[in-house]
Amino acid sequence: MGSLATTRSAPSLWRRLERHRVGWAFILPVFVLFAVFRIWPAINGFLLSFQDYRLAGGTTYQGLRNYRDLFDDKVFWGALRVTLKYAVIAVPLTTVMSLAFALLINRAIRGITLYRAIYFLPYVTSLVMVSVIWSWVYRADGGLLNGVLTGIGLEPVKWLSSKQMVIPSLAIMAAWKGVGYSMMILLAGLKAIPETLTEASQVDGATGAQTFWRVTLPLLRPVLFFVLVIETIGAFQVFDTMYVMTNGGPVRASYSLVYMLYDESFKFMNFGYGAAIGMILFLITFVVMMLQRLMFGRSDT
Amino acid sequence: MSIVQPAESRTSRHPVAENVVVARAGISPRTRRTGLYILLTVIAVVMAMPFIAMIMMSFRPESVTGLREIFLSDKFTLENYRMNLRNASMLRWIFNSFVYALVSVGFVLLLCSMAGYAFAKKQFFARDKIFWLFVAMLVVPSQVTLVPLFILLVQLDGANTYWGLIVPTLANAQGVFLMRQYIMGIPDDLIEAAKLDGASEFRIFWQVILPLTIPVQATLGIFVFLWHWNDFLWPLIVAQTSNMRTLTVGLATLQSLVPSTNSMMAAAAISFLPSLLIFVFAQRFIVQSIATAGIKG
Repeated sequence: MGSLATTRSAPSLWRRLERHRVGWAFILPVFVLFAVFRIWPAINGFLLSFQDYRLAGGTTYQGLRNYRDLFDDKVFWGALRVTLKYAVIAVPLTTVMSLAFALLINRAIRGITLYRAIYFLPYVTSLVMVSVIWSWVYRADGGLLNGVLTGIGLEPVKWLSSKQMVIPSLAIMAAWKGVGYSMMILLAGLKAIPETLTEASQVDGATGAQTFWRVTLPLLRPVLFFVLVIETIGAFQVFDTMYVMTNGGPVRASYSLVYMLYDESFKFMNFGYGAAIGMILFLITFVVMMLQRLMFGRSDT
Repeated sequence: MSIVQPAESRTSRHPVAENVVVARAGISPRTRRTGLYILLTVIAVVMAMPFIAMIMMSFRPESVTGLREIFLSDKFTLENYRMNLRNASMLRWIFNSFVYALVSVGFVLLLCSMAGYAFAKKQFFARDKIFWLFVAMLVVPSQVTLVPLFILLVQLDGANTYWGLIVPTLANAQGVFLMRQYIMGIPDDLIEAAKLDGASEFRIFWQVILPLTIPVQATLGIFVFLWHWNDFLWPLIVAQTSNMRTLTVGLATLQSLVPSTNSMMAAAAISFLPSLLIFVFAQRFIVQSIATAGIKG
């Protein structure tokens, strides 16, 4: 914004500053909010990760201490392993499911919008509400799934209380909730593929499967990769369901990076340590996003 | 949160190509279509089952817990809902969730359209640099800034207050981006004409630009409502007393007290009602904006 003193001598400059002034006045509220609540915290998060921060005062810089402690911390490696395992199961599961759903509903037949709506519905729920329902679905005794399993003469499964099953169970639930979003993205991608291409392939004698693998899938690759990236970033942020359904258990078998960040920062008040975990999370997210950039160029805007 | 445009949406194609394949495979189109509907329906039942179970259980007395009974019993009660809605804390949480979501929607819409207008139609110093700085901040997940944001909030005395809950969530880069893209499509002539009529800058924004952006306002408003209504981690940290909890945080605390499942299901159903209503009435908006702009909370 222009200062009044300098403008008196040059009217044209004044007009130019006036133009700047209007633009700036319109973005000012958002700019201030952004600077204070997004940009400064991002910078300070980086600084905090090198500090021993105390709310009461007496904060000291301690170099790489937090990171060194982190790399010596079994809990951290455990949380990283849990998060990776979750991502490795949840991401392909959600992506394959959403691709299958998108292919299924990509037709102009009666009632298809109703099916689309039902598949999409879990997306508008909160993870907490989903956790409440699925805690019952997965309940070892009297839950929906085990009720069905024992009903048809199979052994009940310890969905949430066994160390092996807890992550796959949470990933299945996440796929149920998230499939609608990726399905819609992939559906848009499918509709963007020119009909003439798939029709030509079929006129040339290709079967439906051949057309899918040789024509549809290669053309869908950028969209598919976008879905993979979005799902991967989301998977690395998993927290709500673990907090509500399993408390990170059994024995930290569902204790994710964000769960550790939450505990260290807001339960144990190790803010610097929590910030360091945040930086690791940022690094992972950044690498995943750069991979997409490298492979498909700028896809935003 | 991320903004990407994966693909242009096009009109749906007609099923000629499929019929070609069908004819070759030797299965009649009708059989194939029936099979397709069966498959679609089975998936739909599985996808809807958690919702169906929630609704069923929420209307069953506490004594009904067996699977068969839940779905087939003729016992019906409103007691679970009555109990939840008589709970003063629950009412407070519902109120808090509405405050958090609705106030945020109002401010985000106003602030983002103001900024979007300036970024789209005004010339000013460092305009594009600032815009891309906003967008670039989308690569920083909110969990990463959680700790510094909380410390800032404590320093500003905002912990456990409504403004502390709401204000830090208003810097919405996706909203600014959406608004800018939309307003860029509004012809400059309209603005010039208003200027010639002697309208002030603010009046041009209020009476020319805003009315033209109603469709995108609706879309953004729906998403901002859903993001806030369903948000968990941020309200969990800001609320330090039961009185300041949002409904999601309240539900999580209720769940940890191991209450009756049926009453918990009623509570979940109550928390779902606003999202469901929005979904039913605005499905088209939600679906279209995901397909064309890749909005994600």
